[in-house]
Amino acid sequence: MSFILRRISTTKTGKQIVRDQALPGDAITLGREGSNIIHIADLAVNPHHATITSADGRHVRVQASEGLGFYINGRTVDAADIDSAAGAELRFGGHRLTIAREDEMIILLVERIDELSQSSKDVDEAKAFSLAGVMPGKRLGAWTFAILMLLAFLVGPIWAWQSFRNVDERPEGYHADKAWMSGPLSSAHASLKNDCQSCHVEPFVAVTDKACVGCHTGEHKAMSMAHANAPTAMLLAARHPPGVGERILAGFAKTFNKPQGRCVECHTEHEGAGPMLATPQKFCADCHDGMSARLLKAGFKPAVADAADFGTIHPEFRPMVRPAPGAKPIRAVTGKGALTDFDGLKFPHDLHLQATGGVARMAASFRGRYDFGKKLECENCHRPEADGVRIKPVQMERDCAMCHSLAFETVGGVTRTLRHGEPDQVVADLTAYYRSTPPSRPLQLGGMERRRPGDYAQGQVYNIYFREVAVRPNRAEDAVRAVFSKGGACYDCHTVYAPQAGNGWTVQAVDQTSRFLTKGWFDHDAHKETKCADCHTMATGSKVATDLLIPGLRQCRDCHVGENGARLVKVETATESPCAMCHEYHSDGGKPWMPARQRKVNSAAITNKPLRAIYGVSLVTGSPGRGLYDVTWRTPALHGAERGG
Amino acid sequence: MASLFKRRRSKATQTERVRERRHEGFLRYANFRWAKISGGLCLLIIVSYALIDVTPRHNGGSWYGYTLGTIGAGLILWLTALGYRKRKMTSDYWSLKAWTSAHVYLGLSLVVIGTWHTGFQLGWNVHTLAWVLMMLVILSGLYGVIVYATLPAALSNNRDEMTQMQMLEAIRAFDRQLHSAAQPLTPEDTAPVLAALDEDPFAGGIGARLSGRYPRCATSAALVALSTSRSSEAEAREKVIGLLKQKEAALARLRQHLRIRALLEVWLYVHVPLTFALIAALSAHIISVFFYW
Repeated sequence: MSFILRRISTTKTGKQIVRDQALPGDAITLGREGSNIIHIADLAVNPHHATITSADGRHVRVQASEGLGFYINGRTVDAADIDSAAGAELRFGGHRLTIAREDEMIILLVERIDELSQSSKDVDEAKAFSLAGVMPGKRLGAWTFAILMLLAFLVGPIWAWQSFRNVDERPEGYHADKAWMSGPLSSAHASLKNDCQSCHVEPFVAVTDKACVGCHTGEHKAMSMAHANAPTAMLLAARHPPGVGERILAGFAKTFNKPQGRCVECHTEHEGAGPMLATPQKFCADCHDGMSARLLKAGFKPAVADAADFGTIHPEFRPMVRPAPGAKPIRAVTGKGALTDFDGLKFPHDLHLQATGGVARMAASFRGRYDFGKKLECENCHRPEADGVRIKPVQMERDCAMCHSLAFETVGGVTRTLRHGEPDQVVADLTAYYRSTPPSRPLQLGGMERRRPGDYAQGQVYNIYFREVAVRPNRAEDAVRAVFSKGGACYDCHTVYAPQAGNGWTVQAVDQTSRFLTKGWFDHDAHKETKCADCHTMATGSKVATDLLIPGLRQCRDCHVGENGARLVKVETATESPCAMCHEYHSDGGKPWMPARQRKVNSAAITNKPLRAIYGVSLVTGSPGRGLYDVTWRTPALHGAERGG
Repeated sequence: MASLFKRRRSKATQTERVRERRHEGFLRYANFRWAKISGGLCLLIIVSYALIDVTPRHNGGSWYGYTLGTIGAGLILWLTALGYRKRKMTSDYWSLKAWTSAHVYLGLSLVVIGTWHTGFQLGWNVHTLAWVLMMLVILSGLYGVIVYATLPAALSNNRDEMTQMQMLEAIRAFDRQLHSAAQPLTPEDTAPVLAALDEDPFAGGIGARLSGRYPRCATSAALVALSTSRSSEAEAREKVIGLLKQKEAALARLRQHLRIRALLEVWLYVHVPLTFALIAALSAHIISVFFYW
């Protein structure tokens, strides 16, 4: 009788009531089944879990009986010997068995220490039923994300800028400030994609022109000639009054230190890979739209007409023309009938372009020898320059002599020709010809036949021949006169002046204009697909060479519309044309900048291949290499024209 | 004068009563006032974007872009302030319902403001990152609005007039009954019952919460194990099986409740952290523009 089972129960008030009960026998069984001396209602305990014995009333032996052990000091064991005076705690399932010694008795205290089930545990309702229990806190996420963003996209880029601020070229690799790049650089600047600092030199300072001219040393030293010479007051007066939007933009620009008029305002970057975009027409139209009225109001005399959009508001072209033979070229005044340009030649385009008639038949007869078709085409005589932009001046030997031969004699298979461009030489050659050659002998004078007297009489063979021999040198003068007079080789094409005192025959100088439209840029190469006559519409009907056959605005507008497609006439295949397609702002003589993709793709129609018979013609007419026929281009009348407008 | 105010106030009270009766939520607040304002704003932006010709083309750097950007940034900060406003009790103007209504509709209008601010120029950079974050925040918010409008009914149906704690209490009761009913069972049979008792009804990660699927549910496993077992006395086993079925049903109700609540709450775990990520990215975006001016 040495075991006492102690039970502790807790009242509602929290008071503990201890009840002791002596257990019979020396071997105490413990298990879930009711027949055990210590009955533990715990599913984690076996029906007959263990037996507790004591041999001497002090030392206790606990022996597990059905395989499941018990815990003592954190380990699972099947048997344990315990000195009850020292005490011990054993665990059976969710219950604790405490062994102690009081008054020579072994006290066995059994308590439930684990909850009956997991669900019985206390829960924090707000946390358990919401996602707060299974997700990291929102505040944590907010801070983490925000700090990551700031590190990667603010601190990192500034660090990168600071590290390389005075470096010309950064090493390869990732630089954090590339994350700031608002769009790909144009192909011209693609190599700078790692080097933000090459343009963005100082922080919070808008890109300066200095950064541009650091590399672009040769180009655009000044603004446009037309604008650079204008007084500032006039330039300011030309600008249109700012709208709401521009006032907002100006406000931003002023507040955040973004000066206006810098290179980058027209040459916008970060607009996507590929060639840099052409300057939008707005940059021109801001001033040129309705400018003359504003200038007049401000007391300036407008020199150019208003232009806002090629499709709708653009002044008529004013080509450079010579109003009289030999006059200086001036800018044509439009709206006063057909324009005339005296270039010194006589050339009926209509006659040459006829589908039938003498010219066409002659051309047809030359098929195979020259690249003629059934009739003459524009490109048979007008040939483009090597770069294809303009048309070469007409050259007699190359472009006319196929038909208009100057040959007058054949000596041993070689044709002698009159020298084109040298009237004095022509006179000399003809005189020499008649002096050095006898008239052809009549057949009757040949052979060994005896001649009878009387043959010398007038009207007889001898007389015909020898009289001719006697007067032949004087015939030269007639021939010269014939060449230079109506019906003669020179007269047909040139204006010839008869000999005056001290002068021989003179021919009016020929002035062919290389560029009629000096303010704009017309590229023939870009229009290869178009037939000449589609634009030069008056050519087929032109009877005199003084007709100016340069197309007008009307012809251009058949295809070209405004930058945004604005148009006044019906257009089938519209080419959207900003100002910069034809006009060059910086006046440096080059082609206006326009990326290739903005231009139309062309297929070859006019080619510049050398004529098959061109060398043959050279043989006939003599080498043109002496520079005799080089046309002297006119000196541009306007200062700016020299630089391309 | 005093009577004038009194009349006005009584009229306002009357309007309020009508609203209460109709249970006017934040979506239809004041007869869709903020929806109309926001829709009008979007329309104005879309039309003016098409009509206004800016130099050289639409992007964030044009005057139009600056204007939209400023409006958008200000709006983002104001929308974020809902988190502050809802924690602050006020009695005067700007009821929380009005504020929430404006938050939802103006937040949706930010899709137009932000996107049209970009001029549709997007790339791999901090600027587009800010736009993407903004769109994610808006989309998560849109999800929130949709679930707030649709799921509470489902939540209520599932609850069947029980509180959350009552649902848990039911499970606890079944656990207690299971515990006593399982006493006569053999150890092989008590093991699965014990596992069922040991199962935490709130266990499972975010995946289980959102899907409502618990493939390793110990209660179901115990049910299967006991149905096939022949080791214990049949009567006791049948009793335990009955209790397990009841527990399983109670557990399913609780889990469905947890699932609906998770669906109702999960968007906030995207919406709120990404809002702060957005504000950080927006700051970087604005500073970068002026830094590399």
